Amino acid sequence: MARFQPVEAFHPAEDTLQLLPFRFERAEGHYLVSNMVGDFVRLSSDELTRILDLRVRPGDGLYEKAYAAHLISGADQNAQRQLLAFRLRSRLAFLRETTPLHIFVVTLRCEHSCPYCQVSRQSTDRSRFDMSKETARRALDIAFESPARRIKIEFQGGEPLLNFALISTIVSAAKARAATADKKVDFVIASNLALLDDAILAFCKANDVLLSTSLDGPADLHNKNRPRPGGNSYELATKGIRRAQAVLGPERVGALMTTTEASLDRVEDIVDEYLRLNLDGIFLRPLSPYGFAVKTKAFRKYDATDWLTFYERGLKYILEINRCGRHFPEFYATLILKRMLTDRPLGYVDLRSPAGIGLGALVYNYDGKVFASDEGRMLAEMGDKTFELGHVTDSYRSLVLSDKLIELIGSSLTQCAPECADCVFETHCGADPVYHHATQADPIGIKPLSEFCARQKGVMRLLLRLLESSPQDAAILRRWGGM
Amino acid sequence: MDVTTSDVLVEFSVAVQSLGALQAAAYRLIGTATCQIDRIADRWVCTLTPVSGSKKAPQGSAALEIHFLDLVTDENLRERIALRTDSVRNVILSLAFGSLAGSSNNDH
Repeated sequence: MARFQPVEAFHPAEDTLQLLPFRFERAEGHYLVSNMVGDFVRLSSDELTRILDLRVRPGDGLYEKAYAAHLISGADQNAQRQLLAFRLRSRLAFLRETTPLHIFVVTLRCEHSCPYCQVSRQSTDRSRFDMSKETARRALDIAFESPARRIKIEFQGGEPLLNFALISTIVSAAKARAATADKKVDFVIASNLALLDDAILAFCKANDVLLSTSLDGPADLHNKNRPRPGGNSYELATKGIRRAQAVLGPERVGALMTTTEASLDRVEDIVDEYLRLNLDGIFLRPLSPYGFAVKTKAFRKYDATDWLTFYERGLKYILEINRCGRHFPEFYATLILKRMLTDRPLGYVDLRSPAGIGLGALVYNYDGKVFASDEGRMLAEMGDKTFELGHVTDSYRSLVLSDKLIELIGSSLTQCAPECADCVFETHCGADPVYHHATQADPIGIKPLSEFCARQKGVMRLLLRLLESSPQDAAILRRWGGM
Repeated sequence: MDVTTSDVLVEFSVAVQSLGALQAAAYRLIGTATCQIDRIADRWVCTLTPVSGSKKAPQGSAALEIHFLDLVTDENLRERIALRTDSVRNVILSLAFGSLAGSSNNDH
């Protein structure tokens, strides 16, 4: 009869266990811990100390918990290190598709005069603020030099429809080039839709062009935020959304809202407006500290705490709507959840490290100047040229490998920035050198003073709390996250 | 060293407390209090000055001291983790992105 060794004989010796890298933060009587790829686990102080000292044994529960969370491994066990490496590589695979987004500022003219405008528009009668055909052609050269196999060309302004003729020219030229360059090209027009007509809609349908617009909420709130002659911005935007939905299909038009001080008590009204218009979700966005938002001091009128209160109230309201059977995601939460719940490479330009400036997007201004991001262009309109990389006469390579861009990206890496490097949320967060330069004159930013940091942490803590404490909400959030 | 009535002094032995952890804790305190670190004989003397009007500042000297000690404790823990895991972190990063990335594809 075969004789078996006692169970203890199969236990690994203490010195054969190895601690793996992890980060932590105190969280109301316990520790929130994340491993190298951002999986979270909650540990008591005693559990954390025992893991750190490797005082865990198979069968004691903590060994299994620590092993499953990739906090420990066998010293000779290569598989777990390989697994973490593969997952890490997958998460950062967006770096292999360099510069997928190309923003063409076809005009700086706009017929709106929004006090929070981040672009510092010029009045409509100044045609010298339009992009020329030659500038557009050179910008296309750069876009097609970028290595990404699928690129997106986004038309912005001002109000880009004021220079629709150029949009039409660029789309035709880009489609012709894509056919020979083995690239796929998507097109988006970011417009207030006030100038939308049948001809433009027919063009968008024929060329698979997406429309993205701004909708800040109900009529009174939207019109207050977005003044234009006639005071009918809301009427034109909602009419445009409905027409676009009817002609292009509901999924071919999206809207973005911006939170102003006047929005803070109105989140339910704002969400209801999006539902009423049959939009496929909402992005509860804070105001950015650029352009006219700075000149009018609009962005200083509420802080991260105010915005997080607004966001939490809005998210809970949206979850309630989803619980009633309507799929209606909040896109900011969706983005973070995809990061937290999967290893998909999400190169969202504003939330990644290495930062998305240049590597994620390039912006071709109406005058031929090339910027590392749209916000960088906005800063330049205010006289700050930190993120101006060059001109459309330069090559893609010289722009992206410029000392200026490399220095900005290298100096803002969250993987090694003070506080970020040890932050339990680092894997799911991002560097935002433009924001920190704009608010603190430092691309890294002093994170204890950063509203960006406070907002990111606040949203992630809220999502974790909902995932852990509410099974019904967790099911909805997991669906948003693509699980 | 100028010390005002609202300042909080916290001392550590240089024999058991690293300067790096104190500096990291002082950084995390930015916006709540400033922290000046001086070496006086065999002690690190940390002078904490609350930032007036800060929403984040703990109420009272005792609360500020406890908050700072918690931050230092956490930074000491982070130093221990880094000491124990830096080498394996580098191996994992090499497997993911470095010269080992290619060979790992072949091995497994």
